[in-house]
Amino acid sequence: MSHHLFLLSPSDTPLYSLTHQSTKPVPTVTSPLASNLPTWSTSAFAGTLTALSGASSATQTTSGGAVRVGGGQDRHVIQMIANAGLDVIEDVMRKENTMYLKSVDKFNEWTVSAFITPGNMKFVLLHEGKNDEGIRAFLMEVWELYVKTMVNPFHTAHTAIRSGVFDSRVRGSARKYL
Amino acid sequence: MAYAQPHPRLSVVSNSSHSSIDHLSPTTSSTRFSLPAVPTPQAVAKPAANRPNIYDRPLNKTRNAEVSASAFAFLFSEIVQYTQKRVSGINDLERQLNTLGYRIGTRVLELMVWRSEGSSKTPKRELKLLSVLMLIHTQVWKAVFGKAADAIEQSVENADEYMIIDNDPAIERHISVPKDMSQLSCSSFTAGIVEAVLDGLTFPARVTAHNTPITQFPNRTTILIKLEKSVLEREELLKK
Repeated sequence: MSHHLFLLSPSDTPLYSLTHQSTKPVPTVTSPLASNLPTWSTSAFAGTLTALSGASSATQTTSGGAVRVGGGQDRHVIQMIANAGLDVIEDVMRKENTMYLKSVDKFNEWTVSAFITPGNMKFVLLHEGKNDEGIRAFLMEVWELYVKTMVNPFHTAHTAIRSGVFDSRVRGSARKYL
Repeated sequence: MAYAQPHPRLSVVSNSSHSSIDHLSPTTSSTRFSLPAVPTPQAVAKPAANRPNIYDRPLNKTRNAEVSASAFAFLFSEIVQYTQKRVSGINDLERQLNTLGYRIGTRVLELMVWRSEGSSKTPKRELKLLSVLMLIHTQVWKAVFGKAADAIEQSVENADEYMIIDNDPAIERHISVPKDMSQLSCSSFTAGIVEAVLDGLTFPARVTAHNTPITQFPNRTTILIKLEKSVLEREELLKK
């Protein structure tokens, strides 16, 4: 099971991203494709998506012969799902007053959870399966690390986070909680 | 990777002192007759070990720490002088001070909320304009100046204007503005902090500072918040 984390600045610039392969066993979610797909994806964007996934190596053909879109581990598909989730996140964050927004969006097997810091940074996490408590704890640790980064006077809202220590700390808590 | 390195200035200081000790001390004769310029790995590792990485420092350690008022007054006076040399006119100077304050404000907001909500299981964000203004009036002022602001008012004429009033702003306590610059309010720095906090919480506004002296409080300053239209429209929608 893999996790994808993106840190986005208030102007939606990606500052940091992480792919984490979890070793923990997951209760596999086996729900039919149709129920997993959001309604819009079958209509307006279906053509684009098929084309997109057609270009990727990881397009899987299910037993029914239907093409399973976005199911691969391809970077651009993952990024697209995360970006698409932003719309929903921005809708939800106007109404919900919690920083941790769990499972705001779903796309095939991917669930999108988010964490909004007071400074309007968005942490977007793509995950499979359900692990609310673990994800919350993980995102809280990422927040603490982010606060430590941003109080550094040399950091601005648009500088990508390239610190090796930050990276290893985030990976550490990913191993712990995800 | 920049964080893994110690502060460049400190590392220079400690490296040079370290190597000079090497040269003077008779016990370390190994470097005496060789090229001295190359720092040994130990010499690099040493300052890093003394000075913890920023990710190792607990954020709550300095929670109740206080800064010397005279040190701050000195620093702020230098900031104003430095800025004044590089601008043309009062408006420009106020804008520069505002920008400097903005950089503080983004950090104050994130750190302050982390300290209050970081240990909570369900950290909350503020959604309502009024609670955000109260947050600035009390929490932000306490975090920055050690006491809450003296008043918060809504403008009678304009619904999109709010005012935060400080009777004796700490940063202006040791500043006396010359007569020919009487429009200048050094609290533009504070206005920048407020603007950053509002921006961060997605309540964009234009924030300015104005001198509004009264007889008991000659330093009284008003921080004027002029909210963007979109904020008020959203407030209306939220009420429904």
